[in-house]
Amino acid sequence: MTRSNEPKEVRPLSALTKLARDSVTRPTSADLDRGLTLLFARATARKARAVKLIRWSLAGVLAAVCTLLGFHVASVMRGREREQPAVAYRVEGGSVLAGGYLRDSGDDGVRLIFSEGTRVELMPGARGRLRSVDQEGTRVVLDQGSASFDVARSHQRRWLVDAGPFSVAVKGTLFTVSWDPPTERFELTLRHGSVVVSGPIVNGDIELRAGQRLVVSLPRAETLITEEPPNAPAVAPNTPPSLTGPDPEPENQPSRAGSATASDPAQSPPSATARRIEANQVERKPSWAQHLALGHWDQILEDAARSGIDRTLETASSEDLFALADAARYRRRTDLASKALLAQRRRFAGSARSLDALFLLGRVDESRDRARALGWYEDYLQRAPRGTYAAEAWGRKMVLTHELEGRAAARPIAEEYLRRFPKGSYAGAARALCGEP
Amino acid sequence: MSKRLSQVSLSLVAGTSCRDVSDVELAQGLAAGEAWAIGVTWHRFAPMVLSMAERALGSRSDAEDLAQDVFLSIFQKAKNLREPEKLRSFVYSFAVFGLKSELRRRKLRGWLSILTPEALLEFGQRSVDVESRDLLRRFYALLDRLSARDRLVFSLRELESMTIEEIAEVMQISVSTVKRSLAHAVARLSHWIRTDPGLAEVFDTQRWQR
Repeated sequence: MTRSNEPKEVRPLSALTKLARDSVTRPTSADLDRGLTLLFARATARKARAVKLIRWSLAGVLAAVCTLLGFHVASVMRGREREQPAVAYRVEGGSVLAGGYLRDSGDDGVRLIFSEGTRVELMPGARGRLRSVDQEGTRVVLDQGSASFDVARSHQRRWLVDAGPFSVAVKGTLFTVSWDPPTERFELTLRHGSVVVSGPIVNGDIELRAGQRLVVSLPRAETLITEEPPNAPAVAPNTPPSLTGPDPEPENQPSRAGSATASDPAQSPPSATARRIEANQVERKPSWAQHLALGHWDQILEDAARSGIDRTLETASSEDLFALADAARYRRRTDLASKALLAQRRRFAGSARSLDALFLLGRVDESRDRARALGWYEDYLQRAPRGTYAAEAWGRKMVLTHELEGRAAARPIAEEYLRRFPKGSYAGAARALCGEP
Repeated sequence: MSKRLSQVSLSLVAGTSCRDVSDVELAQGLAAGEAWAIGVTWHRFAPMVLSMAERALGSRSDAEDLAQDVFLSIFQKAKNLREPEKLRSFVYSFAVFGLKSELRRRKLRGWLSILTPEALLEFGQRSVDVESRDLLRRFYALLDRLSARDRLVFSLRELESMTIEEIAEVMQISVSTVKRSLAHAVARLSHWIRTDPGLAEVFDTQRWQR
């Protein structure tokens, strides 16, 4: 860079460059040997690192493969668990035609005996169809007449019985069901187990317990639930209660004979239990609970009015208060129902009925103040998380939250409902809210 | 002698008898993983790489580290050498690439550190007088202020005496870029030297009016 013709200002730079260039000497042989030794050492270390890296990579891949394999095996096992053996059935007294129609060959009706232990019997004259039989479950349609079902309990399969506009979800039980298209009368007598009946019923789905009998008359917009003694002989389905004939007297009357909802209950025919209760009236004055079972709700209300509503609320027994609340509810006298339930809460605090009153207050308020009804349900669930009406309260809470606050607010409640009651009567609505198929 | 590189137990292999092999044979030996080729390649090209790196970086130890990395890369990538006769250019390319990376790292470290580290001078065995050492320290401090590319172009041109075309080829940039970069580096260095009180004082004396 020390060139004679370069500008003056570049000369210092040239001088510095030359100084830098000249200050570096060629490495000696010893330097090179030392460098080569170091090079081999670094190559060895690098190779060891590479081997270690490969080993760890292989270990990682192996772990990932094992994990995937585990998931695969688990899913296969789960799939196998889900795979139920196909349900087989045989037909006695008739045959299955195209479309699943059941035709009897004699006068004894048609009987279906399933491999899982379920028995279905169509009474003489009844018409029905075997709509589907698969691994998910079985669906039977009763077009007309009566049929009895003895369904084997299964967690994997569901059983559905369609009778006219009604649908019965079966959870392992013994019951008879009848549907009369001309009179549009539906009747279900549950011997044991439980079922959920859905259809054109005033307050939505109804879950029946063992010993209960449901009669729905569509033309009269009438729904009646009565208690049947568990050991009572099977009531011939499709037979009006008044023609049932004399039944043996039950030893103990149920404390709360039953509950019912109807738009015109006064005209409803008394059930078998009701008739038995009527027979007892000769000997003693019936209680309000008995009036309730007989469908004499106006009688209860008249008695209360005669004695004075305020006095009744302050002096009536817990059982009578509950009967009064029910009668008032069925007669759409929500104010009186609410007062009776609040009196129950105030006077018999700590009792089981007091807790039940919380839930029923919610039902009463749903027709006039849904926000307050939601509060009653939440209060009930807080005080009785495993109470009699817990499933129903969760379901109503979900529905009301959806209506009042929208889908997003209702979704966590729906998830909780599904977690607690995966097969509950609100499970379908909950799944719809969660976006599940 | 025909063991593959991956199979040999590592030891110093510096057979002087192999030093007269041609670059082509050496490249073929490296590509074949011959153990002897490692020592010969090192002894043949390490002085060049070490000197260039030391001049460019101003540090013997940094140059040695760089040479180690460069030769490890060369031995790994020797199989990719398609023209064995260009082994020298191959080694030079790796050395320049390594230098460029090192200069960039230094620049990044300078940006990341709160205080710019003082340039450390650490030349080899040749004794440099105190005054020259001070000048070199100031000079390398100025070089540190250049961008990595400008500094490398300046070093290859002025310290290694490479032609513009050689620099363009080895750095894989255009000739015009090399010229522009060089002019930029010279202009900036000259300006910094003029404005540096310590350097200006030195170069005003007669001793440097050569």
